[in-house]
Amino acid sequence: MEDTGSIVAFWLLAALTLGSALAVVLIRDLIRAVVLLITSFLGVAGLYITLSADFVAVVQVLIYVGAISVLMLFAIMLTPRAGRNNAETFFRIPGILLAGLMAFTISLVSLDTDWAVVERGGFEETASAIGEALLDKYVLPFELAAVLLLVAMLGAILLVHPEGTDEE
Amino acid sequence: MDSVNRFGPELILLAMAAVIILADIGWALAGTGAERMRRPALGALALTGTAASIIWSALLIAFDEQGEAFSGMIRVDDFALFFNFLFAGTAAIVILASIDFLRRNRFVAEYYALILASTAGMMLLASTIDLIAIFVALELTGISLYILVAFMKDGRSSEAGLKYLLLGAISSAVALYGMAYLFGITGSTSLDEIGLVVSEANGETRSALVLAMVFLIAGFGFKMAIVPFQMWVPDVYEGAPTPVTAFLSVGSKAAGFAVVMRIFLTALGDGSISSDWATVFAILAAISMSLGNITALVQGNIKRMLGYSSIAQAGTFLIGLAVVAAADPQLLLGTSAVLFFLGTYAFTNLGAFIAVIAISSKIGSDQIADYAGVAKRSPLLALGLTICLLSLTGIPPTAGFIAKVYVFNAAVQADLVWLAIVGVLNSVVAAYYYLRVVLNMYTAEPASEESIQPGYYLGLAMVVAVVGLLVIGIFPSPLLEASEAAARVFG
Amino acid sequence: MLNQIPEGVVWAILFLPFGSFAVISLAALLGLTRTGSWEARFSGYLTMAAIAASFLLSLWALDSVLQEDGARIGYDAHEWVTVGSLRFDIGVTVDGLTAIMLIVVTSVSLLVQFYSQGYMRGDPGYNRYYAFMSLFTGSMLGLVLASNILQLFVFWELVGLCSYLLIGFWFYRDSARRAATKAFVVTRIGDLGFLSAILLIWTKTDQLDIGQIQHLAATGMIGSSVITWFALGLFAGAAGKSAQFPLHVWLPDAMEGPTPVSALIHAATMVVAGVYLVARFFPVFIVSEEAINAVVVVGAITAIMAASLAIVATDIKRVMAYSTISQLGYMMMALGVGAIGAAIFHLFTHAFFKALLFLGAGSVNHATGTFDMRKMGGLARFMPVTFLTTTVAGLALVGVFPLAGFWSKDEILIEAWAEKPLIFWTALAGVFLTAVYVGRMLFLTFGGEYKGGEASDHGAQANSRPAEPHESPWVMLLPLVVLATLATTVGFVNITGGMNDILEGWLPEETHELVAAGDFVLWISVVSVAVGLAGLGLAWAIYSRKAIRAEEVSAALEPVQVLLDRKYYLDDLYETVIVKGVIMRGAAAALHAWDRYVIDGVVNGLASLMRFSSEKYRLAQSGQAQLYGAAIFIGVIVIVASVLQDELLGIVGL
Repeated sequence: MEDTGSIVAFWLLAALTLGSALAVVLIRDLIRAVVLLITSFLGVAGLYITLSADFVAVVQVLIYVGAISVLMLFAIMLTPRAGRNNAETFFRIPGILLAGLMAFTISLVSLDTDWAVVERGGFEETASAIGEALLDKYVLPFELAAVLLLVAMLGAILLVHPEGTDEE
Repeated sequence: MDSVNRFGPELILLAMAAVIILADIGWALAGTGAERMRRPALGALALTGTAASIIWSALLIAFDEQGEAFSGMIRVDDFALFFNFLFAGTAAIVILASIDFLRRNRFVAEYYALILASTAGMMLLASTIDLIAIFVALELTGISLYILVAFMKDGRSSEAGLKYLLLGAISSAVALYGMAYLFGITGSTSLDEIGLVVSEANGETRSALVLAMVFLIAGFGFKMAIVPFQMWVPDVYEGAPTPVTAFLSVGSKAAGFAVVMRIFLTALGDGSISSDWATVFAILAAISMSLGNITALVQGNIKRMLGYSSIAQAGTFLIGLAVVAAADPQLLLGTSAVLFFLGTYAFTNLGAFIAVIAISSKIGSDQIADYAGVAKRSPLLALGLTICLLSLTGIPPTAGFIAKVYVFNAAVQADLVWLAIVGVLNSVVAAYYYLRVVLNMYTAEPASEESIQPGYYLGLAMVVAVVGLLVIGIFPSPLLEASEAAARVFG
Repeated sequence: MLNQIPEGVVWAILFLPFGSFAVISLAALLGLTRTGSWEARFSGYLTMAAIAASFLLSLWALDSVLQEDGARIGYDAHEWVTVGSLRFDIGVTVDGLTAIMLIVVTSVSLLVQFYSQGYMRGDPGYNRYYAFMSLFTGSMLGLVLASNILQLFVFWELVGLCSYLLIGFWFYRDSARRAATKAFVVTRIGDLGFLSAILLIWTKTDQLDIGQIQHLAATGMIGSSVITWFALGLFAGAAGKSAQFPLHVWLPDAMEGPTPVSALIHAATMVVAGVYLVARFFPVFIVSEEAINAVVVVGAITAIMAASLAIVATDIKRVMAYSTISQLGYMMMALGVGAIGAAIFHLFTHAFFKALLFLGAGSVNHATGTFDMRKMGGLARFMPVTFLTTTVAGLALVGVFPLAGFWSKDEILIEAWAEKPLIFWTALAGVFLTAVYVGRMLFLTFGGEYKGGEASDHGAQANSRPAEPHESPWVMLLPLVVLATLATTVGFVNITGGMNDILEGWLPEETHELVAAGDFVLWISVVSVAVGLAGLGLAWAIYSRKAIRAEEVSAALEPVQVLLDRKYYLDDLYETVIVKGVIMRGAAAALHAWDRYVIDGVVNGLASLMRFSSEKYRLAQSGQAQLYGAAIFIGVIVIVASVLQDELLGIVGL
């Protein structure tokens, strides 16, 4: 059985993650929502650490907390009048109902299943193992991800370029 | 080297995409003198890419170079090669149909590069046998298509692109969640290993398996455009540039079916779970056919109508999947029925959309009512569109007839008589709205007498599609044999 | 006596018209028809040459069959598609039934093509007309010659398609368009049954070859419920194509097509394909009590109902359309009492006199510019040849001795008397009704005073109103005369029962005892002719002599009149209730409403709410995306819940 410390850590982190995620959805001020989103991402990173996934946790912080959230903040600030006082959406009640049902279904199914549990090992650094896997077994998806980024870049250029058609 | 060799058809598409982008930069540097040659040359490069991909795939067959590559990430077998031809051929026809369409657009190079990248992604979806690679391929296909849908950058196209992106992201997330569950249950990302674990699974992981299965159906159902994951179809089909709509309706849909067949037949093919998904597919097939056809009845816009019709057609393909693990399972018959149907559908739907491109760009409207008297203004286009619509209806001697007989026969053989009956009833409903277009073209006075001349490339694409579907309708053997050979991979 | 016809020649019968279609289409595709280097009349000549050649070869086929006493001349089927479990063959077969059908199709088609040269002269769609006619004739021959049921179905659909194209030939008319759609959709409902029957027999016996299926059925190798369902499926297809109750509603509307088309397709050939189908699978029908009873009941209802409708129709072509439906009902009735010989014999004679009636109607239309009988009258004086030939055809239809219709109708009555007396009385009532409407048609059109006609809407004299009706050109009259001669004489072909022998020679031996074969009964012939003459007399009294005023009759029988005017409310039932009410208004509109009011309404309402409360809400449509996304999750929940219902209920303790 797990030691008490990691159990307590798990519940705290889980509460942090879910609580701030819920607040992101409910709060009407976009900037605060993004800040709360950062908290949620941090909570997830914490969960990764309790699972001994150090590299993934660091990447989570770097990419989601560092890059994506900042990008969101930039986008909000660059959009005039997008920041505050957004009205209530029509989908509030149906949305809550649906999310509740979904959570209910997933919880029931997860409880009903007999999961194959992996024994906890010691705390080892995983970065080099991931690196080797990416450049050995998973080299194809890794390289394809590069192509994916190229495509996304092409798209970004294409879509934000002010001109659509030539003058000819 | 074997790995690279077997990856060749995809590799050459991606390489050609890069070449096109670089060549475009070269033109920009060369100055305005060479500008006139830019568009045709880029189009030719893109076509060369698809042709090279087809040739490479053929060489793989000729030299019997089938097998796995990249340490069990992809498996190049008859099934994957079948789809290589299908996707590369589709891309070639779409590119041909785009040349005139892009006459005034500045981002020609990007357009072709995105088409090629998306095609490579589709090919990978058919050949990958590892969940991680499948997801990356799924995104490669998807992201290219999101951009292509928004390509026109006007209000409708942007709105369609945004919707497609949002819903695509949701469905990818759902599919990914399903994959995570699958990994959680079996501890592996390799389809073969998952299949081994699943076939020996006892009842204790059943509910999680079911949830994973439903998430996968939902995630890929988005690509296949089946009810209830089809909501985006009419809006996106209507808003996207028509050649892209054609590509979506054929390529993207076929890719969805390819990956679903790969996953469900390899990883979830054995054990009690298979009868569960067969039942789900049977019911979704019936709902998709009925809802798609009935809604198509009242559409006034031809692209929306073809959108709903493609939902109904997807329902018909699903019959084949239901047959695979029905009460009286017909693995070979069901799989090959889906493959054959996809092959004929590619020609048929591409032909229909090409005709729509040619006609709509001239009359400046997608409304069926404005197709009045098109037969007078362009007898050949009207004839071509009529043949395609007849094939969609399933009337001999077109390819659509053979496909329908094949798939309904499969359903009856598998003891799914009710599904065959639903399918046959639906084809009557479908006849009504397809023929409404035909009638409108051949009847009603045209608004103007000016003749409609499709461009040279568009005409060529149309001829390829229509001749293809007639040839398959009269000599279906080669395609049937190819489908059965591809289906035997799972046998 | 010639040698037995080789297989290649049989294929040639089929491919000659297709070749003509291909050449005309090619000429049109290459633009030769527009530049004038391919003159329109070439299309006519080519079509006629091809069909004439087919006709001569069909005679050879008949000769070969006669030498075999109607037995099947077997040719090996050719492999068309073989893939693993799937094998389709194609092949041709020639037997007594086929040979007779070949003769009917090619000879009537030839005469109609000849006639069309006059009727269609100057029409802008001249090339298209002949291309479709060639395609139709080829497909019809393919249907008749097919040796397996799937191949038969392919040609079955092709003739349906040609019919559809030719009904909508004058596509600028709204009514023609609607008629074409109606024909297509209604016949496809029947085709569903046909296709289901094919799938059923294929699954149960693994056979598509017609001869094999007949053999299996006759020898009791197929279970009786399979046989019944298979036969009923086939009959659904036949009822659609042959316009049998309740799928008959398309045929009267189909008269929107050019009159020669009506003569060829909607009277003499395509509509009898249903009768042919039932005859072709006669060994299957005859062993199933239920199926054969369905055939006879539907045939009887159709015969009576359509004949009564023909009495009130005012459009001369619609009268003939109902008459055709009624006569097809007779043929089905004959098949239903087991008299295959009589049925096909009637098909044979009917083809000639009904084609003649239609061509006569076309000639009348050519002269007066209208099909409305109330605007004709007195044409006997202006058009003596048309009058005489049409009268011959009308009398043949009534069954007056010694015209063709007498012999075949008489045979049906005799067989019916021997097998099912109730059917005999029904058929006799039908004879009376037939005589009334034929008499009415003849008296209104040719008797009395000329009432003016109408401006023509096709051909060279389009939109010019003929001052005085005139006789048609000789290209139109010659086929009339030839057909009138045939309508007078073809009845004698079977006077010794020789035709029945070859029509029944191909049936499997096991079924021979089930085939009805009565001998000539004098009193039945006398009674039927007397009833026919009585009907003609009544028509004369009402419409010529005016001894009984038509208005009084209709006033006295007002409910009946209304019922007939509304065509037994069947069209209303289909169009208003089923098509508009249930399909269009109900299901489709509900979905449309869902799309429009729920989704758009939610979104638009949301949007205006947003715009009202906040200027910042720009992407009005994004609400739609939320809804679409929600649908994905709703779908997931519903599917999971339904697959796992037992497990989930178990967890929550229910």
